[in-house]
Amino acid sequence: MTHNPWIWVSAILTLGIFSFLYKENPFYRVCEHLFIGISNGYSITFVWHRILMPTLINPVAHGEKLWLILIAIIGAFYFMYFIPQISWLVRIPIAIVLGYGAGAFIPRGIDAAIVQQLRATIITRSTFLSVYNGIWSLVILFGVIATISYFFFSRERKGILKPLSYSGIVFIMIGFGASFGYTVMARISLLIGRLTFLLRDWLGIIH
Amino acid sequence: MSIWEKLTKIDRRYIYLMLLLVVMIPIIVPFKLHPKPMPPVENLFNAIDAIPPEKALVISVDYSPDTEPELHPMTYALLRHAFARHKKVGILCISLLGLGLAQDALSTVTNEFNSVATTHADSIINGRDYVFWGWQTMPLVPILGMGENIAKVFPVDYYGNKTDTLSMMKKIKNYNNVALLVSIAGGESPFWYITYAQTSFGVRIGVGSTAVMATDFYPYINSGQVTGMMSGMKGGAEYEELVLTKLGLKGRRKATEAMSSQTAAHLWIMLTIVLGNIGYFALRRRKK
Repeated sequence: MTHNPWIWVSAILTLGIFSFLYKENPFYRVCEHLFIGISNGYSITFVWHRILMPTLINPVAHGEKLWLILIAIIGAFYFMYFIPQISWLVRIPIAIVLGYGAGAFIPRGIDAAIVQQLRATIITRSTFLSVYNGIWSLVILFGVIATISYFFFSRERKGILKPLSYSGIVFIMIGFGASFGYTVMARISLLIGRLTFLLRDWLGIIH
Repeated sequence: MSIWEKLTKIDRRYIYLMLLLVVMIPIIVPFKLHPKPMPPVENLFNAIDAIPPEKALVISVDYSPDTEPELHPMTYALLRHAFARHKKVGILCISLLGLGLAQDALSTVTNEFNSVATTHADSIINGRDYVFWGWQTMPLVPILGMGENIAKVFPVDYYGNKTDTLSMMKKIKNYNNVALLVSIAGGESPFWYITYAQTSFGVRIGVGSTAVMATDFYPYINSGQVTGMMSGMKGGAEYEELVLTKLGLKGRRKATEAMSSQTAAHLWIMLTIVLGNIGYFALRRRKK
């Protein structure tokens, strides 16, 4: 068993979080609040020392990049949210961030998430150069059409739309099943990580 | 009360206890597994192998300690691969909490190499073989800015050195000098790289994702927007297997070590799902 006090602290906090599996308790609450507090404290001090000081406060204090003062004032408007009389000022930085974000994202997002995906779904003669590739491309094409038809609510589900939309359910369920399987793997991975820490670093049972 | 009724009323804490044992026992007494690398993992490995000497591999450490068991082995494996093949590596963090993890992986892997290096040329040296750029406000500033000038986005590296004075950075100016960018992420940052870096600058993107996020990125492999991908702990284990078999590197393989527990846990969960369903249908038939 280790004599390192920090590993003991870490192990006790891990057990505190695991205690929630038995039932809600004060030990768990203490660990949860500690985690949130330390994460926020770390982020705030990091932003102060590594972002605000070198990129804003130091240059301005030395008389350089004085236009940053205007940007800092606009950024500080976020805090006006807490003063009801002038809380409308918060809309200015939000509008700037949203405008810039939307302008930067929309053309690229449409290309990356829609145009390129559509292009990958289109079947051409070259798709069938490999039989394996050809078969899977047909399955993907059918899956896309069937799944979209399931979310097509403008017409009653009868005729060709009925079997097509029901096939869409099958593809959606396969997608959910794959996601669930991956989720299990992710959660078990985290449990393995913590148990390995407890057994190796804390108790020294394994090497 | 029949056995099926008892099964449906079992206290969930017994299931947790069983899961704990099923995961813990193989950690103490592991059984050997050799993960078979899947095509997305092999593609990522081959893409890194093919990086020309004048270009760099960029690794974006976009995860925090909560996803460390899944993603940290991937960073180790990528660094081992890149350093063994003498590829230039640039490292940045989109996640603030990833800084410590990136530093941990870098120091561990560079120590592994430097402890057996016999010459200065064999050693892995900061500024010459790799640069740890550090963190920048996410996501637009670093991702778009690196397309124009990396040294402008990261004026100083994580250790406080002026970035543009480092020898590696004389040749690595922007995305034109980046052969592959791998985002190892607990969230959606690979999507940001696909959207901003790939769409705007044509950078090839690799992904190391948590298992939860993996299904979100599979469509991008099919479309060719993602060159290769490691998904979850299994993806990390597959990459470790490639590093072992193709490069003969025998560093600690954390993901592979965990695969026996992972396998046992999956079998246990499948068993509980099957038993639960049999019990449900048996009770429904009895009620009819």
